[in-house]
Amino acid sequence: MTAFSVNGRPVETAAPGDTPLLWVLRDELGLTGTKFGCGIAQCGACTVHVDGMARRSCVTPVEFLEGADVVTIEGLGAEGALHPVQAAWIEAQAPQCGYCQSGQIMQAVALLGESPEPTDEEITAAMAGNLCRCMAYIRIRKAIHLAARTMKEAVE
Amino acid sequence: MTGFSTGARLWTPGDVALSRRWFLALAGGAVLTGYMAPSAAAQTPSVAGYSPSLWCVIDGDGRILVHVAKAEMGQHVGTALARILAEELEADWEDVELVHVDPDPKWGYMITGGSWSVNQSFEALSRAGAAGRIAMIEAGAAMLGAPVGECVARDSVVRHGDRAVSYGEIVAAAAVTRTFSDAELAAIPLKPPSERRLLGRDAAARDVPAKVTGSTVYGVDRRVDGMVYARPVLPPTRFGCRIASWTDDAARAVPGYLRTVEIDDPTGTCQGWLVAVADNWPAAAKAAELVDVRWETDPATAADEADMLAEGARLVGAEGAGSLVYRDGDPAAALAAGGEIVDRVYRTHTVLHMQMEPANAIVWRDGDRWRVHAGDQHPSLSVPLVAKALGVAEDRIAAETSLIGGGFGRRLYCDFIVPAALAAKAMDRPVKLVFSRSDDAWFDNPRSPTVQRIRTVADPDGSLQLYDHVCAAGWPTWAQTPGFLADGFDGAGKVDPFAISGADHWYDATHQSIRLVRNERVHSACLPGYLRAVAPGYTTWAVETHIDELAIGLGVDPAAYRLSLLGARGRNAGHGPNGVGGALRLRAVLERAMEKAGWSGRAGLPDGEGMGIALGSGQEREMPTWSATVAHVAVDRRSGEVVVKRLVGVFDAGTLAHPDGALAQVEGGMLWGLSMALHESAEFKAGAPQDLNFDTYRPVAMPDVPAMEIEFLINDHMPVGLGEPGVIGVAPAIGNAIFDAVGARLRDMPIRPAAVLKAMEV
Repeated sequence: MTAFSVNGRPVETAAPGDTPLLWVLRDELGLTGTKFGCGIAQCGACTVHVDGMARRSCVTPVEFLEGADVVTIEGLGAEGALHPVQAAWIEAQAPQCGYCQSGQIMQAVALLGESPEPTDEEITAAMAGNLCRCMAYIRIRKAIHLAARTMKEAVE
Repeated sequence: MTGFSTGARLWTPGDVALSRRWFLALAGGAVLTGYMAPSAAAQTPSVAGYSPSLWCVIDGDGRILVHVAKAEMGQHVGTALARILAEELEADWEDVELVHVDPDPKWGYMITGGSWSVNQSFEALSRAGAAGRIAMIEAGAAMLGAPVGECVARDSVVRHGDRAVSYGEIVAAAAVTRTFSDAELAAIPLKPPSERRLLGRDAAARDVPAKVTGSTVYGVDRRVDGMVYARPVLPPTRFGCRIASWTDDAARAVPGYLRTVEIDDPTGTCQGWLVAVADNWPAAAKAAELVDVRWETDPATAADEADMLAEGARLVGAEGAGSLVYRDGDPAAALAAGGEIVDRVYRTHTVLHMQMEPANAIVWRDGDRWRVHAGDQHPSLSVPLVAKALGVAEDRIAAETSLIGGGFGRRLYCDFIVPAALAAKAMDRPVKLVFSRSDDAWFDNPRSPTVQRIRTVADPDGSLQLYDHVCAAGWPTWAQTPGFLADGFDGAGKVDPFAISGADHWYDATHQSIRLVRNERVHSACLPGYLRAVAPGYTTWAVETHIDELAIGLGVDPAAYRLSLLGARGRNAGHGPNGVGGALRLRAVLERAMEKAGWSGRAGLPDGEGMGIALGSGQEREMPTWSATVAHVAVDRRSGEVVVKRLVGVFDAGTLAHPDGALAQVEGGMLWGLSMALHESAEFKAGAPQDLNFDTYRPVAMPDVPAMEIEFLINDHMPVGLGEPGVIGVAPAIGNAIFDAVGARLRDMPIRPAAVLKAMEV
């Protein structure tokens, strides 16, 4: 048994310790917003937050999560409200097929946590490991800038 | 059928013919063009309400439900199609809801591809909306006690003077009885473009909000009660493998493992496959790797990329190979006339779809039916394929639609449903089969390697006496839907029109010959597929590189040279509705792109930098989207590394149903073009692609994205396609820019630094 929290709620899993977190989220907990893309941490579609850090859940064994706080795309916004990054994603009309976007958004939220007003270079560096096969990169970049602006205004 | 003769059990097209049930939905003709229309007259609506035609229902609450029979895979197709209907209906856009319908012959032939959706749905959806408007005005006028001719409809309301009744009130009063026959629908005049209120104006795409909260349900996210999970155990090559023996002794140690199923597939899709089944997917995935199998293989199915390219080179080197696609004048005489022939060969390598959602399907028995849940671009082909696999009649298959996590043509042939269906049958319970990324890449229907030879003869003034193009490639249509092959131009043989489209460019040439030959070495190892931009993704590479070479040889500006060849002579004058204006519209995008890119100032670029230009008329000659692309590159003379600094694209796609969606398609499409130009290829080795995951198969990521400037020329012409045309001009524009920068002429795609260095030495 491994006990940790997901989106603020305590969970326990009996999955073998080497089971990637991705599959516990998707198939045990029904949190299918986190996506399977490559299984080897090369595409970013499975990105979640573990103790506030962006992590590739497809290569994160659950046995390392005892006591950890996991946040997925489903837990990002407050009840009934979008996170500013999600709102910016809509404003920029960033998603096409949308399959990678949960991971993109989780990565972008982590970036903005570290660097509230990222430069283009910082965005490029932080997002380099998140593939979008529709290649919506122009709008993803735009959405991150939009989100930075609204989050800054909210703070002020 | 003349297959590659090996004695092995190769893929035999025609195994799964399109059945009469689906074929009746076709408008007829061998080639998959033209609108594959069902009867549009109203049938049983999806909710209680009034249906002016099959395509929408207005209910008593005023909701307008638009039936979307195209797959949503990121193109925001539902939004675009609904706006076409809502425009003529005079609907308030806020009242419109999208209903993604499950596959059924009543929707007509169901395929989402070819950049066709908006173009081919435009008439039917416009008329459906117009019929609804007429019915609402007539019924509303009666309710208001006013003459029909004095009532107007706007924003889902019928008005007479200052009195009004809403569409919802009209339907709730059961006041609408009007029906429209197909003939009546066809006779309705559409609004003049000057009165449009929705088309050409932006709206937020309806599929976007759920995609930022993780609540969109893709095929892979679906769950069915009692379902078990599966992963295939794949043989060494796609064709010709037979299982000699196997054991799951090691797999049995995996917690959750249930069993391994040997797949006996009457469709021939799975040759020598097993499927590992478990109560969760990681267990199935692990077990699949532990199943120990001995296969009997056939070396004839184990081609390398080099074998395929060598065969392609041999084929295009022979006179008169393959089938004639187009001929004008007397090309043989022009070739023999003794002018200076520019004779060049262009190649492209295998490219994989690598859509982010790996292939997957859920299949289960439900009474006397089989339910299939999969992201599917082509249900009209999937249903007969799955029926054949299960050995049941097609009407026993109930397919369910799903949002798609990336199509790009991979889901035009849903062969990946077959092993799921056969595993579900063997397990006698619902099976969700998910391919791992490497399984998905191995089992892809790739864009095959191609070899093209172009020979031209130009007069001293540059005008083309001869244009002769021969292409050797895999034929997706031969492998997947042979019923859609076209006859050769001279009536001899068959051609895959989708494997050569784009070679029939819009430049004037007195004598012209275009031929296509099927590369059997490709087909021995690979089931070629339709990949975003399909043939124009490689034919335009050859055409636009060659035109550049001609211009350089003649000592003229490559852009000015193109303008000189765009005289709109003969068939290049184009014809309506799709191709109205012809080559003159191509001139217009070229001139605008030159201006926008600062083409005339390119001589002032720093050393090692250059600009190249390329035109496009994709996706096909009968539905041209006019494009001009300018690439600005910087080449490192020591390493051969190419950095694309800027891409400029100018497009004329006629009316834009949903302009922001159109722009998104072109943004992504142009980056696909960049990705295939510089980054993507998967070498076949011993009958399988070698780059099976994103560690070595590296599409464009954010660091590779250049500055991009995109513009649409706006007009009221028939809307054409935009899913693919963004792709096609980018690679040749980059190749031509590299020549401008460092004098290196590249004829192989993708362009690798070593090839740039080598070409610089020439």
